[in-house]
Amino acid sequence: MFRFANPEYLFLLIIIPLIAVYYLRRQRRLSGHVKFSTLRHLKKVPRTLKQTLRRYLFLLRLGVLALLILGLARPQSGSKQEEIITEGIDIVLALDVSSSMLAEDFRPENRLGASKEVAKEFVEGRTNDPIGMVVFAGEAFSQCPLTLDYGVLMQIMDQTDIAPSEWDGTAIGNGLATAVARLKDSKAKSKVVILLTDGENNAGEVDPVTAAQVAQTFDIRVYTIGVGSRGTAPIPRVDPLFGKRYVQVPVSIDEDLLKRIAAITEGQYFRATNTEKLREIYAQIDELEKTKIEVKEFTKYSELFINYAGAALLLLLLEVLLMNTYLRKLP
Amino acid sequence: MDTKELLKRVRQIEINIRGVVNEVFAGEYHSVFKGRGMEFAEVREYQHGDDVRNIDWNVSARMNRPFVKVFDEERELTVMLLFDCSASEVFGSRGQVKRDVATEIAALMASSAIKNNDKVGLIIFSDKIEKFVPPRKGRQHVLRVIRELIYMLDDDNVQRHTNTDIAVALEYLNQIVKRRATVFLISDFMADGFEKDLQIANKRHDLVGIRIVDPLEEKLPAVGLIELEDLETGEVMLLDTSQQAIRKSISDNASGEKLKLERFFKSIGMDFIDIYTHESYVRPLTKFFRMRAKRFH
Repeated sequence: MFRFANPEYLFLLIIIPLIAVYYLRRQRRLSGHVKFSTLRHLKKVPRTLKQTLRRYLFLLRLGVLALLILGLARPQSGSKQEEIITEGIDIVLALDVSSSMLAEDFRPENRLGASKEVAKEFVEGRTNDPIGMVVFAGEAFSQCPLTLDYGVLMQIMDQTDIAPSEWDGTAIGNGLATAVARLKDSKAKSKVVILLTDGENNAGEVDPVTAAQVAQTFDIRVYTIGVGSRGTAPIPRVDPLFGKRYVQVPVSIDEDLLKRIAAITEGQYFRATNTEKLREIYAQIDELEKTKIEVKEFTKYSELFINYAGAALLLLLLEVLLMNTYLRKLP
Repeated sequence: MDTKELLKRVRQIEINIRGVVNEVFAGEYHSVFKGRGMEFAEVREYQHGDDVRNIDWNVSARMNRPFVKVFDEERELTVMLLFDCSASEVFGSRGQVKRDVATEIAALMASSAIKNNDKVGLIIFSDKIEKFVPPRKGRQHVLRVIRELIYMLDDDNVQRHTNTDIAVALEYLNQIVKRRATVFLISDFMADGFEKDLQIANKRHDLVGIRIVDPLEEKLPAVGLIELEDLETGEVMLLDTSQQAIRKSISDNASGEKLKLERFFKSIGMDFIDIYTHESYVRPLTKFFRMRAKRFH
């Protein structure tokens, strides 16, 4: 977008034709000339290009003037810019990495793989929301602090694996507490934890309900997701004698607890029995936690007068140069 | 120009031309511009060495001693100076403008004429008659002629952008001077339509054209673009002298015009001299006198 900040100066352009007329009228008197006895036989010679160019050299001067006037009118070029002024939602994904997540009732791979994949899709769908990640098994760790750098987050997600056996277990309370700890100092208007687990709280020092109450105190909503098919799920076991075997393990999700956590924190509980279902759940959460993006549109103007002034200077230099070299005139 | 300065310049010109008048032109002027012939003056007693053909037998018989007739050359010649003071004369590239050269030549002719006891008159013209001084004799008169020339040609007294009209001057001359006179037409001949009048004037008088030329008028140097103003019309034009072809075309035009003029002068049997501002005028004048003298003898 192009505009003049002080278009009133453009009225000065009127003087240019006036000057041109004045110059053409008064040209004879304005410049000196060599007096010659008679031009009778000089008038018969043909005109040369140089002669014509010299006649119109004053147009360059007028051009300089025109450019200066245009520059005076403050030409600006504006570029539209959008600024998102709404702060995003802080989201912490709390992911169960206990050994039961190896259960292959979710495709592809297993529960963990499916969870990671769906979570990644979820992250990709968000914009402007700081997202962090906490993993928990028998203990809970902050895997990634809140960040807008989704690339790093996804990389970390990829590297996340099942917890080593010494930390095996499912400490839902610890996981939730760690997630809450990540969010408690956040200034965001909306804070969300997405807690994904496939078992019962069987480890950790923090009671999940207490953790949920703490979350509530900090205005943090917790969406709980229970993953696991109905009935039993095949879990691979490595047997030193027969190699890899599948053991059918009954799926036991403490749904009551998860529902309670959700209820305390005004969140919601979802049950995912397969990858499709899980994906739907994430989509639902995504929908529920839509950030209302407020975009402020404004035009940023940059001053262009320097271009005009520069062009004027160049033209002036050109004129002076021509006037004193190629188109030099006597007297 | 005040009187003092005027007189100073008159004096200056007088000094400039004196040597030429007294020495270079002394005999030549006299012999070239002759009067009508010999006029009987008196008889006197024969002296040894006199031409016996001049013995007046009647008087000798009456007086019983030989007497010879003495003749005087009839001078009583009228010299008219036609002086072009148009604006184109105020041009010169080598120190002096054409008008100064012309003034000096006019003064020179006037002085030479007076020295030979001729009458000198002056007509200063541009596109009209600017000044007329009737022909008279005497040293005082020649000084007046010079003074008029200088005064008239002072910048304040000459109108700018005056054209040349030789025809007007010639018509006026034909009206004023009825008797045959020697007429010096001092001009740059940058005019048109004077041919017929010149022919008539040449028949009636002994007309000598003195053309004052500046070398720049015939050949322009390569100075690139140059803005020229016509002194007579005030017209301005930009000329590109950087090209050889253009310069050649200019000099061709000039020499063509010169040739045309010379041919015309010759066709009507009129004498003319070209005087260049960058050269001494003595040489061409002397040459001219010699040439005329040859024709007379």
